[in-house]
Amino acid sequence: MLSRVAESFYWLARNVERAESVARILDVNYVRAMDLYATHDGRSERLWRSVLRCAGFMNDPASEPNLHAAAEALTYCAFAADNASSIRSCVRIARSNALAIRAELATEVWETVNVLYLFVESSNASSVLRAGPSRFLRRIRDATQALAGVADAVLSHGEGWNFLQVGRFLERAYMTARVLAAIEVDDEPWAESQRLLEMCCASEPFAKGSSRSPEARDAVDFVVLAADFPRSLRFCTREVDRAMHRITFAPHGTFANDAERRLGRLRARFDFTPLEELLVLGPHAFATEATIEFEELGAAIETTYFPRLPRAVAG
Amino acid sequence: MDGRSADRMLDVRLASTAEFDEMYDARGEPRPPYVSLAATLTHLERGEVQSRVQSINTTLLQRGVTFTVYKEELGTERVLPFDVVPRILTADEWAHIERGIAQRVRALNAFLRDIYHEERILREQRIPRELVYSCPHFAREMIGVDVPRDVYVHIAGVDLIRDERGELFVLEDNVRTPSGISYVLENRDVLKRGFPILFAGYAVRPVDDYPARLLQILRHVAPPRRPEPNVVVLTPGIYNSAYFEHAMLAREMGIELVEGRDLIVADNTVYLKTTRGLSRVDVIYRRVDDDFLDPLYFRADSTLGVTGLMNAYRSGNVTVANAIGTGAADDKAIYRYVPEMIRFYLDEEPVLQSVPTYDCTDPKQLRHVLANLESLVVKNAYSSGGYGMLMGPSSTAAERAEFARVLAERPRNFIAQPVIELSSHPTLIDGSLASRRVDLRPFALCGADVEVPPAALTRVALREGSLVVNSSQGGGSKDTWVLQG
Repeated sequence: MLSRVAESFYWLARNVERAESVARILDVNYVRAMDLYATHDGRSERLWRSVLRCAGFMNDPASEPNLHAAAEALTYCAFAADNASSIRSCVRIARSNALAIRAELATEVWETVNVLYLFVESSNASSVLRAGPSRFLRRIRDATQALAGVADAVLSHGEGWNFLQVGRFLERAYMTARVLAAIEVDDEPWAESQRLLEMCCASEPFAKGSSRSPEARDAVDFVVLAADFPRSLRFCTREVDRAMHRITFAPHGTFANDAERRLGRLRARFDFTPLEELLVLGPHAFATEATIEFEELGAAIETTYFPRLPRAVAG
Repeated sequence: MDGRSADRMLDVRLASTAEFDEMYDARGEPRPPYVSLAATLTHLERGEVQSRVQSINTTLLQRGVTFTVYKEELGTERVLPFDVVPRILTADEWAHIERGIAQRVRALNAFLRDIYHEERILREQRIPRELVYSCPHFAREMIGVDVPRDVYVHIAGVDLIRDERGELFVLEDNVRTPSGISYVLENRDVLKRGFPILFAGYAVRPVDDYPARLLQILRHVAPPRRPEPNVVVLTPGIYNSAYFEHAMLAREMGIELVEGRDLIVADNTVYLKTTRGLSRVDVIYRRVDDDFLDPLYFRADSTLGVTGLMNAYRSGNVTVANAIGTGAADDKAIYRYVPEMIRFYLDEEPVLQSVPTYDCTDPKQLRHVLANLESLVVKNAYSSGGYGMLMGPSSTAAERAEFARVLAERPRNFIAQPVIELSSHPTLIDGSLASRRVDLRPFALCGADVEVPPAALTRVALREGSLVVNSSQGGGSKDTWVLQG
């Protein structure tokens, strides 16, 4: 497979997955913020600040926009062109990557991306807010989930599909880590652990798996270490590792490149380290470190498979 | 008055026009192949037609069957307007077209082989030598270079029009990187799915084997001793106006769609950069113009091409389709000599007529052109898409003066032709049928021999009275049916 094509598969999956995560985070918090409408104790501002930490500005806290009202934060996270993680930006990036590999993508996959793109391009912040953002956010989630299903069902599970898996699960692990880093579980253990579970789409699987009345620590345990929950750090890391080994054919337990070495180390950590030991410096420190590890893993994948190619110039 | 008739489609018995109508004869009766279609259209309700048209347009948009319009906002994507009323060609008409186009492409291939080798046609002074050498697309780099199986033009798109008597004329040959086949394939697919009733009573020859036939000829022209050749499509990238087509053809042929930066030349051999290292390329179906193919030989500022490609090509290690330098054969100034080529190389009379064309480099003909600008079409030989053209009868005095000035200055850059009325075809405009001008672009494929698949593009000028069918100038397209014999 062309390196350029592999790279587009990877970024297509990452951006679609990010759009889905951001949509879910916004939906959860918009509904929660409605409980705080008439309060003036700073809780609402704190809530939106934490949303922006996981779904808004990604790497540069200094660029934190002063947007702590629901409408402004939502507009920024869903539509801002200068926010590369806004839903609109993610969908645009995903679509231009899909276009670049149009010859490799089955038509049904392409159409799913293109229909999502046309929908987002035809939406705007004011109409979405007027109707209540849930409908818009729901359609984003539906479309992104449909894409994963269509890709699984119609693409050959060869190299391209494996790069989709790498992108999808790496991004998912990264967003789970970011969400974990953004909650304030020490301040309001119960409310914040519920919010964590909802933002990770984990409330129901978590409730099913816990027999006693859960504590905040159990929620963190679940999104980090649950072996079978498809958004836990452990699960996602394992999926990235598997997809990578399907690409290189390196036997399990070995590595063929730096990215696989990092993955093996991460897997061992999540598979065999007890939560107390992981959280010895507190959940925030743990989560912050995890986001950095996933960023470095992403960089290692890019260096291994997508050596910088000169950009084509139009015309 | 029948109250329901207002909802019916067919008030299509249009006022008779000066031009030839493809669907109705002079008495307003449908021509034989159109009888069934006309009857179907009569019974359709306007609302139903509208909703089908709308859903077809949504399908095209969602599939991304779009082209890019420049000049407006940088790279705006548009759906090429699709008209649901199909254009029908009988088996006999098609057999004539097929014969004519195959003949033409054979002659053009022979001409290209000749001007880059023996130059017989120039030495025998059947075509002026300076005319060929002054073609901007004549490639000196190709002199003496042998191309696999002597095929230069692997894919041709030949534009045909019909005059007021219904006679077919070749308007121009496109033998560099002709586009449009993707619309042929998509138009058929969306019409079959979106408007099946129109097909009632017809046996239409399918078009969907075009990609397989294209792949076959591309494999046929691979360098020798490469039994399983690796064929790729080379595109300028996602911002090119025909990117949709490049991706579609690669997808349907099951081969890689590559950009220049995906290729590298080592030891005069072209390779793909893959996740598993380099992989050899044997045939490049390129949709990049000559000028951009290799910065070492052509434009040094091009980033769309591949450094060293020309050397690999001249060494015979890779086939480029169409060959480099084919533009000397579809130059507008060379066009008038194609009948001469047919006689010279094939010893046949042309099956299809050419439009009489004035050579402005000949002072006598130039004088005639300048004296008759009002009744002629003057075309800039080196711009396409319907730009740089003077339509004499509808021009203003100022426009004519401007053309007279540049004509006298650079006669080699222009040709002049009498105005040929394009035929018209009923077309759905704002919910009713109206007469609009059409042309026809059949595609020819040349491998072991020339074949003309029954896949032709009908372009339609959607603006009332307009004779310009180009998509950049408000043109649309129609599904084109070639009937089984």
